[in-house]
Amino acid sequence: MSDNATNTDTTALQTLLTALADDEFILGYRNSEWTGIAPMLEEDVAFSSMSQDEIGHARLLYQMLAELTGTPADRIAYAREPGEFLNCQLVERRKLDWAHAIARYFLYDTADHVRVESLTRSSYAPLANAMQKIVREEKYHLMHGDIWVKRLAGFSPDARERLTSALESLWPDALGMFEPLPGEAELVASGILPSATSDMQAEWLEQVAPYFESLGLPCPVERDASTGRYVPTVEPVYGGRRGEHTPELAELWEEMTSVYRLDPEAVW
Amino acid sequence: MVATVDTVEVEDPARVEEFVKHVQSGGKVESGDWMPEEYRKQVLRFVEMHANSELMGVLPEREWINKAPTLKRKLALTAKVQDEVGHAELLYRVAEDLGKSREAMLQDLLDGKTKFHNVFHYPTYSWADVAIIAWLVDAAAIQSQKALLDSSYAPYARTMQKICWEESFHIKHGYDMVVTMMNGTQQQKDMIQEALNRWWVPLVHFHGPPTSAEKDRDLYYRIKAKPNFVLRQEFFSKYIPKILELGLTIPDPELRFDTEAKEWRYSDPDWNELKLVVTGHGPKTEDRLNLRRMAYADTEWVRETAARILSV
Amino acid sequence: MAVFEVFQQAREGKAFEHGGNVVAPDAEMAILYAREFYGRRQEAHRLWVVPRECIVEINDPDLLHPPAVDRSYRTVGGYSVRDTLRATRGAVAGSAQPD
Repeated sequence: MSDNATNTDTTALQTLLTALADDEFILGYRNSEWTGIAPMLEEDVAFSSMSQDEIGHARLLYQMLAELTGTPADRIAYAREPGEFLNCQLVERRKLDWAHAIARYFLYDTADHVRVESLTRSSYAPLANAMQKIVREEKYHLMHGDIWVKRLAGFSPDARERLTSALESLWPDALGMFEPLPGEAELVASGILPSATSDMQAEWLEQVAPYFESLGLPCPVERDASTGRYVPTVEPVYGGRRGEHTPELAELWEEMTSVYRLDPEAVW
Repeated sequence: MVATVDTVEVEDPARVEEFVKHVQSGGKVESGDWMPEEYRKQVLRFVEMHANSELMGVLPEREWINKAPTLKRKLALTAKVQDEVGHAELLYRVAEDLGKSREAMLQDLLDGKTKFHNVFHYPTYSWADVAIIAWLVDAAAIQSQKALLDSSYAPYARTMQKICWEESFHIKHGYDMVVTMMNGTQQQKDMIQEALNRWWVPLVHFHGPPTSAEKDRDLYYRIKAKPNFVLRQEFFSKYIPKILELGLTIPDPELRFDTEAKEWRYSDPDWNELKLVVTGHGPKTEDRLNLRRMAYADTEWVRETAARILSV
Repeated sequence: MAVFEVFQQAREGKAFEHGGNVVAPDAEMAILYAREFYGRRQEAHRLWVVPRECIVEINDPDLLHPPAVDRSYRTVGGYSVRDTLRATRGAVAGSAQPD
């Protein structure tokens, strides 16, 4: 523990780390479902690398939690019930078509980038260190997302329509990434969380709104006259950070833990 | 540098003879070189089936990516399957330069017109199957692939070099899984033994029936360097001791090493089953092809979009 | 004048490696000069001559050596079976002996 993280905010710190790790783990899981059946062999390999990166980030964060709690990383990942997962609902949504995969990933990645960037300045040193590495790795992910969004938007009416409807359905879930965290006030006060979720959301929208606008793609936001900030015009889907999930997570969990549950004490 | 498809050219027998002498004495062929039509077709058929096998080999393991029981196992399995997709890509690229488009090759695979390796026609029942596949199926495959490093078709040989290097961790990952489970609970040990029982005959089939070297055109042109029965014996010599020392039983009462003849004896594995399986009548052939057909159809629009990008 | 990059294959069947480049007014003349600068000592079995502007370079360490994740799972060194193997062998040998 760093000096700045006192005992009182250990629970809040654990909540933060769990939310970050679960986001990466579950999205990595969903994205790895494309491994072997992606639209093109070249893309299959690229998308798989990114899913491995996400699982790798999750592992890094679970290991950090393991040091705090004494529970091994694999046990944190596999032994919890679905209701103990703190990921946003965006990442648990079932795999649909390629436009949906790209749209989800793009929304997640651009938002996550703001979050990761901010956490590089966290007062909790292990987290800041990890995020300084992760932020560099994300360059490739952002590049990949940008390339695909522009190509799906610009080269075929069918692809554009698919991307548009995927974005429309995903926006409320994506806004759920910035659901306020339980214990957030403490985390911000101690500097573990350098910016509040609402500030990170505002910054994210500031970045992506002009991008989507320039491509003529859905971005349900408007400028708030009093604050000058972008605010959503759709209702965000919250609950994930409190362990509330769709049946799609329960389904995923059943499959994910099916071998593990044969014998949770066994070494695999 | 794409080989031209000669349609009407009559080949000069002297030139063909010179070519055969060249490859039989260890000479190499590049994709843009002149080659007899039979050689081109033979290499294409060989590489295309290899590529098909990598692509279809993805499916039995891919089913378990979602179920991998630890973070490291999940990462390793995803990376292994990813490599197989990557190897399919590399091999289809080699084949494409011999004059058949990737679309045509994928279509022929989906239509059941071309083959893929016997082991990928069988089902997986438990996590132990994943371990046995990653260890022993990959070990058998490496045995064949090493014999291709010296292929007369140079682009193939170079690709195999890259593939063998990339795959080196696959067997280690498989072995690690098997050893871990054999050091675990009784349930885990039983799972591995049952998986070995399921995979043994397909593994004996793996290197193909003992074909006479004279009849084997792949050997004639040095597309591959070793005959089937030699590869199988090499595989047995290297892996049977490793299997037995873990306390596993190999389900063949006839299996023994004949010290006089210096080769392994084993029960005849019913070569007819192999023939049936690779001609599309394996227990999972239809399911696996259907999954590929569905995935291919579902993503057709993406490839169409990509084609439009290219034409702009 | 244009720059052409030259790749040499040292021996039959070997991979092509970058040798250097030549300048020439056009692709045909580049063949002459590539032959002179990269083949006249008979050091090449074959040459590939490629217009430099056709080459796309990636040299960003964040793309080629991303730092965040432990990727030892995709290397042989990422697996150490020694201890488990010894334990398994020991157990097998032990159970084979009469009580």
